[in-house]
Amino acid sequence: MKRKIISTLIMALAIPAFAQQKPDEPPPRWLQGRSEADAKSTLHPFNPKLTGADISELKMSKLKLPPGFNIDVWAEVPNARSLVRGSKGTIFVSNLAANDVYAIVEKDGKREVKKILKGQTAPNGIAFMDGTLYVAERTQIKKYENIEDRLDNPPEGILVVDGLDPTNGPGHFWKYLAVGPDKKLYFNIGSPQNITIPNYVQATIMRVDPKNGRLERYAEGVRNTVGMDFHPVTKKLWFTEHGRDWMGDDKPSDELNVVSKQGENFGYPFCHQGDIPDPQYGKYASCDQFTPPALNLGAHVAPLGMHFYTGKQFPAEYKNSLFIARHGSWNRNTKQGYDVMRVTLDGKGKVAKYEPFLTGFLENETGDPPMWGRPVDLLVMPDGSMLVSDDYNGIIYRVTYKKPLMTASK
Amino acid sequence: MFSFLKLRNATPSILGVVFILFPASHYAANIEAGKAKAQSCVACHGPAGNSVNPEYPSLSGQPAQAISTALFRFREGNRKNPIMSPFAADLSNADMNNLAAYFASEKRTTAHVTSPQNLSLGPELANKYNCTQCHGPNLQGLQHIPRVAGQQHQYLITQLRGFKAQTRSDMDGNMSSAAANLTDNDIIILSDYIAGLAEKPAP
Repeated sequence: MKRKIISTLIMALAIPAFAQQKPDEPPPRWLQGRSEADAKSTLHPFNPKLTGADISELKMSKLKLPPGFNIDVWAEVPNARSLVRGSKGTIFVSNLAANDVYAIVEKDGKREVKKILKGQTAPNGIAFMDGTLYVAERTQIKKYENIEDRLDNPPEGILVVDGLDPTNGPGHFWKYLAVGPDKKLYFNIGSPQNITIPNYVQATIMRVDPKNGRLERYAEGVRNTVGMDFHPVTKKLWFTEHGRDWMGDDKPSDELNVVSKQGENFGYPFCHQGDIPDPQYGKYASCDQFTPPALNLGAHVAPLGMHFYTGKQFPAEYKNSLFIARHGSWNRNTKQGYDVMRVTLDGKGKVAKYEPFLTGFLENETGDPPMWGRPVDLLVMPDGSMLVSDDYNGIIYRVTYKKPLMTASK
Repeated sequence: MFSFLKLRNATPSILGVVFILFPASHYAANIEAGKAKAQSCVACHGPAGNSVNPEYPSLSGQPAQAISTALFRFREGNRKNPIMSPFAADLSNADMNNLAAYFASEKRTTAHVTSPQNLSLGPELANKYNCTQCHGPNLQGLQHIPRVAGQQHQYLITQLRGFKAQTRSDMDGNMSSAAANLTDNDIIILSDYIAGLAEKPAP
């Protein structure tokens, strides 16, 4: 009896206390992992202009490329993200914030933009193989067979795999999708938070065989990748990776990684950029346990789409160069990125050079916003030109090359 | 190392026109066209977008991108409302940019008077729950993030309750995340406080 009274008393005291105070409630997602030192920081992510920019607003004359290269506006697609090409020439364009998938077809010399899928949930990942379009949404991958013959009346999607967002986490729920040389689909499941110990499938690159639905972990310790490609010669998977936030302006660096064998671990959440132990989780591991980056790309540059140049239009030295679209920083007082970089590999597949290719989107590195455009993904076209998507303006640009007739000066 | 890229067929005259049309602003949108298009909006949202109905939000003085983003999401079905969705259904992207430019150019007025008690409790709560982090120190909004200062009282309560219950559409999860820790009492206090803010800075 006495015990019951005491326990009732404890409950009576405890309930209002619980109702008022929720000590275990996580902080809002964009503040997760922020230290006390940054408590007054006003840094914040930038959102795309979903209604798109008018072409006349684009500051094309600010863009810079190496001599002989040119850039023009190729198409308008709201929130344009990932780009893939169908075997019959359709260009598919994904969305992240706008929830649609678009197709662009050339008809009678004119480019036509069609919305083919609506009401998707963060359909950032798209891939094309053997007539089928694959779309990776937040929790699932679906396929749309024989899509190029049915753009005006697209079929219902058929499920390839689901359960891809096991904790409904607030962060990194969008996927990137790539077709491997083994005809399997490769995609990321990002870390659900800025910095946390991920569960079994999180912070990984997964692959699924679309023939039988078999799902495997391919790489782990990957905070989030939103850009992958297979080297044209070695067939190894290369990918970009975003480093954690709230560790200061200059660290850690975002990464370019290469997977040499299945199951490799790239360090998250224990080790960043190959040599910085995490302030919170670093004590549980040593950096030398993990595969180091092939290249550190810079802090908070947000590398997204990356592709090897396999076309013939650009000068010969561009063959198998790696282009990386850098979306640009938010968690940095002085902004950087917002460009397309070129990585040259040597004969052994090591990084020999890392240099700017397309710049000029960044206008004011301390501005808010600092940029007028943000590159997301790249696509090498059959004629060797290269498309660049810009989700901020809802624009797809085309980069072309023509050998200069005369060189006025060196 | 790099040469300036040549604009296609760029001539000084074309560059001149570009410069005159778009000196510094991000929107080439047309305020006058937006004003003409806004005739059906003001029936509910009030003259010049200053709502007089506690249930309907004011649009005046919003950052342009916040308005175009909301309209886009209504049209695309990401955000649903039986009254608003049909109005957005037929708007083009250019219409949305024009409407956004128009309402952004109008001045926000508010008749709401915050209770003295909530006037003293509000600023601390706005800070504690990170409102000022995104909506700005004076809650005037920024880019795609709406201005909440001087917003209609009941509208604010409804939105915050919706975000907390995760029934209110949320583009990036940030508001649901921010509202998750609010008690209903916090929501009442914050809404009363924020609705009464006009141009004056939050202490």
